[in-house]
Amino acid sequence: MNCEWREKTGLYVDGELEPAAQQAFAGHLQGCSDCSAAVLEQQELKKAVRVAGKRFSAPPELYAQVRRQISPQARPQPWWRWGLATALLVVIAALAGSWFSRSRADNSLIAQLMDQHVIMLASVHPYDVISSDKHVVKPWFQGKIPFTFNPPELAKDSPFTLLGGKLVYAEQAAGAELVYQVRQHKISVFIFQARDVHGAPSAGNHAFTVNGWRQGGLQYYVVTDAAREDAERLRALFEEANRT
Amino acid sequence: MAAAVVARGDVSGLDNKDFEKLAVPLLDGLYNFACWLSGDPDEARDLVQETFLKSLRGFASFREGTNFRAWMFRILRNTFLTSRTGLERRNTRQEDEEGFEESAVTQETPELALIRRADTELVQAAIAQLAPAFQEVVLLADMEEMKYQEIAEALDIPIGTVMSRLARARRQVRAHIVTVLGEKKIVGTKR
Repeated sequence: MNCEWREKTGLYVDGELEPAAQQAFAGHLQGCSDCSAAVLEQQELKKAVRVAGKRFSAPPELYAQVRRQISPQARPQPWWRWGLATALLVVIAALAGSWFSRSRADNSLIAQLMDQHVIMLASVHPYDVISSDKHVVKPWFQGKIPFTFNPPELAKDSPFTLLGGKLVYAEQAAGAELVYQVRQHKISVFIFQARDVHGAPSAGNHAFTVNGWRQGGLQYYVVTDAAREDAERLRALFEEANRT
Repeated sequence: MAAAVVARGDVSGLDNKDFEKLAVPLLDGLYNFACWLSGDPDEARDLVQETFLKSLRGFASFREGTNFRAWMFRILRNTFLTSRTGLERRNTRQEDEEGFEESAVTQETPELALIRRADTELVQAAIAQLAPAFQEVVLLADMEEMKYQEIAEALDIPIGTVMSRLARARRQVRAHIVTVLGEKKIVGTKR
């Protein structure tokens, strides 16, 4: 019961042991039910605190205020700059007018995808097909969506794990949602036929990153609360896998 | 992309232009932490703004080899500690290492099933009942996924204290969950 390793459980769960000790501890867990139960419990607790601790999201106004604080304070500008600025504003306003309707449609698609991602996170049944094997998940979509795609082959040491897939609808078009895990975060990859949806650019808010791109007649979106670079990395894997 | 990577690590030789790229990705985590510390969204907002102002001012003198994220959290926390709420909190709540009662529930009783059953609200209550010194350590370790060294820098405490506070904080969170759900279970079986 009083295993000598026991007091190192926390260090192990936090990944704070030296690599050799970390490995030795992992080996020890194979044979010690007390320690493995303690590790499992600590991992669950850590996960629970992580989820519960993320309780407050910074409101968009705060982002705006902080950005205003950071941006270099306007130094007195020569008069002609004001003239130039006014002219630019007129041009921008004209352009914005023409883009407005398009961007509203874009934003609505992005909002739908973010909602879809949150629904998946909150759902008791987040996936229609549960498998970490792309050769199971991909064929499941056959006949359900009017296109095909290639989920990337994940290397053994890849930080991403495929969790499953789901049939989704946006703008009345059927699409695929693939869900990946990276560390403690989930990432949704949405795929639609490009002609069915408005190809909105990448976007995001205080909570989620949306990384969108068009490739081979398909429109892809990566939606996640994980770090932006994780979204970039997964996007790169998809781009590589679907290169013709 | 590179900026976000650097934000979690060491920064050197950067000028003010890089500040935004480094600091803004930390805003959400800082705000969340500020809400937990102060218990008030408006105050948290002020704390975050002040933190950004102070850190922007100090960015030029930012020491090479210092962890940027830990540095930002440290500024936030120091700002909070010198605020009215922070001072009140420090005076009303005991933060002494030795001053805490250990729960009767020890690590020896695995209550995995109860922890798994705990909903977000209950875990939040368990975090909320922690004394600030314990709360901040557990939030930085589990929510911000900081390494012990980073936490030590952010809170300006020795790494040994990080470890002992973290262990205690987790025992208290666990004890709270086990007690609440354990009681529910007993009430349930009586009916």
